[in-house]
Amino acid sequence: MNQLRAELLKIRSTRTTVGLLVGLIALALLFTILTCTLSPMSQLLTEQDQSSLLSFGSIAGVFAALAGVMLFTSEYRFGTIRPTSLFNPNRTHLFATKITAGVLSGLVFGVIGEGLVFSIGMMILKLRGVSIVMTGANVTELIVGAIIGTALWGAIGVGIGSIVPNQVGAVISLLAWGFVVENLVFGFLPKIGRFLPVHASDSMMGPLQSNLLPGNAGTLVVVAWVLVLAIVGVALLKRRDVS
Amino acid sequence: MSSRSESEHVSYVVQSESLSKRYGDVLAVDNLTFAIEAGTITGFLGPNGAGKSTTLRMLLGLAKPTSGHSTVFGSPYDQLATPALRIGAVLEATDFHPGRSGRDHLRSLGWAVGIPDARVDEVLSLVELQSASKRRVKGYSLGMRQRLGLASALLGNPDLLVLDEPANGLDPEGVRWLRDFLRDFASGGRTVLISSHVLAEIAQTVDQVLIINHGRLVAESTLDELTARVGGVVRVQSPQLDILAELLQREGIVTTRSNDHALFAQGTTKEHVGDVALAAGVAIHELVTEGSSLEEVFLDLTSEGASQ
Repeated sequence: MNQLRAELLKIRSTRTTVGLLVGLIALALLFTILTCTLSPMSQLLTEQDQSSLLSFGSIAGVFAALAGVMLFTSEYRFGTIRPTSLFNPNRTHLFATKITAGVLSGLVFGVIGEGLVFSIGMMILKLRGVSIVMTGANVTELIVGAIIGTALWGAIGVGIGSIVPNQVGAVISLLAWGFVVENLVFGFLPKIGRFLPVHASDSMMGPLQSNLLPGNAGTLVVVAWVLVLAIVGVALLKRRDVS
Repeated sequence: MSSRSESEHVSYVVQSESLSKRYGDVLAVDNLTFAIEAGTITGFLGPNGAGKSTTLRMLLGLAKPTSGHSTVFGSPYDQLATPALRIGAVLEATDFHPGRSGRDHLRSLGWAVGIPDARVDEVLSLVELQSASKRRVKGYSLGMRQRLGLASALLGNPDLLVLDEPANGLDPEGVRWLRDFLRDFASGGRTVLISSHVLAEIAQTVDQVLIINHGRLVAESTLDELTARVGGVVRVQSPQLDILAELLQREGIVTTRSNDHALFAQGTTKEHVGDVALAAGVAIHELVTEGSSLEEVFLDLTSEGASQ
């Protein structure tokens, strides 16, 4: 618990997290206001149209993952990994602390991201007179899925940062994977692509597009990715010297 | 009686046994064995790249030895319950997030081991940083960063302080401040291990030195012993130089004559030369140690190719 408090203080005490939050809020507002205002009425009629639009809050996953990546990579970048390791000599505990902190900060990103997109999007749609066809269950799955998915992306970020200690390398790997590699795989081989983490976490918000896994299966797949990264990350942390 | 060896064991704060570290083809630390007693200030000396930092990292559980092992207070560092409460260490002077305040840096370390904010503020004032504690570290001078590092090492009120090149980049006033601080710290029976590549920087601070070169221990002694042991030259003036030279040579001491009135005896002490002269009734007009300076001894021990 003490270690977790310390880790959360690290997140709060630099401007990096604030910067990421500001970025998320700006992007979420911009996208929601533009698309909800400008989309033609004909594209706002079905449950899937509305869910897709209002699922944009899951972009918070990118920011949560970046925040997660920083938990290890900024320690390596600025050398604080040395004092951190002296105060927390058990590497498995250190990893567990950081991944928990990554999940908690991811929850905050998820609540802010999806909260903004859903509330403002819904308001604009209602103002435009769109008839909301999403059911209560759809809404719950969308919001809970986006928030939990974002929290899990915080954990994925921590895992990547523990495996790729170089900050630039880790950030580029993360973005290239999320925005390029996965989309290519999903585009050409959806049966495989749907098991990759971005699409598996998308499926947590409901059937937003065809070929996605069922929601529960998607959740399990994302958790499995987190576990794989955690196992590799801990093994590397224990093996690698702190130079 | 059986507890005697045990208590002797416990009095060693740091023990290293056949510690080695290999990076690819390079043997950075080569079979290093030494022990440090409680209440001493030990200088860990060697040129850059001699393996000092690697050794300290292995002592502190940051790097795994290729072979051999080391203990701190009788256990490997990472097997102590909360090592940060017994051992304080600074390995680099720049290990801070530039965007975090000095106080938050210390709190983020201290909180992990249950250290309260009151202690954080205490060490900040101990290193005279309280007025800058809420500023971001990127605005700190090198001296301030060195002191913030020291503050992080002191957080847990440790009994052993391990500092890697702490005097690097300090101005003379800072060096003196550090020396006084370490003397004060050790006066209460606590232990300091401090590395440097410049003997002069720490010669006035340390009780004893460990000197390594190419990863190997080349000397482990007090400073006085070191001066006497290596390159100590005693200059003697006497009206009976021929007799004295013969007496000393009989003792196995190499002597050289510079002129008619002075004799240089190598690798001995002036006390010994005086005793030999007295025993033979030889008059002495001058007797001084003209030994190499400590720095020369150090350079001699660590020069290229020098080894045990």
